Amino acid sequence: MPLPILSPILSPIIAALAPIPALVLAAAIFLPQPAVAEARAKLALTVTGIKDAKGALMIAVFDQAGYDTDKAVAQAAVPVTATTVSTTIDLPPGRYGIKMFHDVDGDGKMGANPFGIPIEPYGFSNNAPAQFGPATWAAAAFDVAAPATSHAIALN
Amino acid sequence: MTISSFLRRSLLQSGIAAGTALAIAPDVIAEPKAPAWTLGYTTPPAKGLGPSTMRLVSGKAPAGLEGALYRNGPAQFRYGDAYASHWFDGDGMVQRIAFADGKALHTGRFVGTTKRKAEQAAQKFLAPGFSTAGDPSYAVGSADDVNAANTSVAMSGGEMLALWEAGSAIRLDPVTLETRGPKIWRKDLAAMPFLAHPKREPDGRLWNLAVASLSTGGSMIGIYRIGAGGELEDFGMVDIGAPAYIHDWSMTERKLIILVQPWINTGARPGIGGFEWRPQEGLKTLIVDKDDLKKQRWAQADARAFYHTGAGWEESDGTIRLDVCFTRQPAFGVGGGAAEIRGEYKPGGEGPGAMLTQMVIPPKGDVRLIETKLDGEFPQVDPRFHGLPRRLTALVGGGAPGHPGATTLRLQDWKSGKSQAYDYGVDYMVEEHLFIPKPGGASERDSWLIGTAINLAAGKSEVSVFDAADIEEGPLATWQADYSWPLGFHGTWT
Repeated sequence: MPLPILSPILSPIIAALAPIPALVLAAAIFLPQPAVAEARAKLALTVTGIKDAKGALMIAVFDQAGYDTDKAVAQAAVPVTATTVSTTIDLPPGRYGIKMFHDVDGDGKMGANPFGIPIEPYGFSNNAPAQFGPATWAAAAFDVAAPATSHAIALN
Repeated sequence: MTISSFLRRSLLQSGIAAGTALAIAPDVIAEPKAPAWTLGYTTPPAKGLGPSTMRLVSGKAPAGLEGALYRNGPAQFRYGDAYASHWFDGDGMVQRIAFADGKALHTGRFVGTTKRKAEQAAQKFLAPGFSTAGDPSYAVGSADDVNAANTSVAMSGGEMLALWEAGSAIRLDPVTLETRGPKIWRKDLAAMPFLAHPKREPDGRLWNLAVASLSTGGSMIGIYRIGAGGELEDFGMVDIGAPAYIHDWSMTERKLIILVQPWINTGARPGIGGFEWRPQEGLKTLIVDKDDLKKQRWAQADARAFYHTGAGWEESDGTIRLDVCFTRQPAFGVGGGAAEIRGEYKPGGEGPGAMLTQMVIPPKGDVRLIETKLDGEFPQVDPRFHGLPRRLTALVGGGAPGHPGATTLRLQDWKSGKSQAYDYGVDYMVEEHLFIPKPGGASERDSWLIGTAINLAAGKSEVSVFDAADIEEGPLATWQADYSWPLGFHGTWT
């Protein structure tokens, strides 16, 4: 007779990530073009914990304003050919949070079971824990400084 | 017995009594006066118990009793001075008692869930629980991260499954009880909930539900149809109209019977606190054709709350009968199982207990309730007659003023309207009793009833076997372990 876990909880992960692929399937990296020249920083991202060396990592980078509303400042679809994947994303220096999932079957969507629970691996910057949904901004936020910053994420 | 006996049995952990002292961390030994009933809520050693031969303490082993009783229940109640937030949060521990050549061999092992592994490593509670938010560092990406696998067991495909209600079944080696990992019935069904009350047809086919209201929310119910060999034959979805609390359900030979009690998940608060009792809506029952999930009808009854059903059957005119242990309103969610963690047992704290009732659902029109005067819970039927017309239901009830738990085995005969009882006495806490068909027997009375209990005077767990032909004669045989293990919920015989 245990524990009803309550929950409008789990589906937000999907809500956050599912829109990405439609936007970026073709583009390796999409960046907003600054109107005027500004400082850029290279985010060198390493993703570990990949179980199946196939499909693509679907990566979305958010600033604080966009984190909860899923308006990304940069997105990437990076083909997976090994159990560790590295990529570089150019960004204005600042504080960011990353939400990502591994599109193992290459259908462009985050796989979910009939109740909407994710069944493809996912991860957040700082390896912040999912909390009945995406990790919080407070837990996922990290600084990207010029000229380059390294960051590593292990998929769940 | 009061509902509190079942649902508020606390996690009381200071628990120390003769026979288990060695199993408990030294800091606990400073509390020597915990009453014997707290053995029911005492955390066993992390490595488990046994294998250990149980001693025959009375009677004679029935010839032909060969097989194993498996049971599951919460068992990790504290780390140091910290208690689990609720009895229901305790990590599942599966008990196996194997019977061969008149001997009984006990083995108990914790289920190695994600939650347990993390909490054992940290030696503290991390996952969110019945009434706690959990440690913010603990990742919860699906209900399986919180899965305690502590409610029941079912054999399928050569594996023993440890069951919860909001997450996956967890696969165990049926002999060593070693944990193998979550059961994935089909790739796209990973992490789908698998209720703790699967129902088996006499030919071995297994049916079960996935209940959204307990995990992701909503009114959808998934329906598993699993072949006798353990393979998923089909999975479908039905809408029950409301995110009701569903712990158990029922079926006949051709119908699934889903009781939608008016205890609705509003989402207003996490956990059980989000469920709202709406008696004005009554008890709605959805009857679904097993061969075509789209063929459905509804029946209406007065509001009742329940946890457990026995089983149903259908008569030639389409009338459906099933037995349910009903209360007038939900019986937990008011702190039970948490307040008692610290050893506070208040008899009758939640009012009247569940009453064995037969629901009569006519082909058309409202449901009729035939209420027995039998208090009790954990109703069980002869597996040869699951879904078929039958006359017997076993349950446990009674109770003692000084401690939680049942004391009496009952056997209701629906045809004669009479019941039998065997009172273990106030020195026992009695658990669910299961039917075991006797080899070569044909009728329900050609069965043994088997069940476990904690003998409080001895401070030991016991297993007893009765003849279903006359339970008032008392056990045919009783075996006693050298130790006790915590009270559990449900079991299976295989």
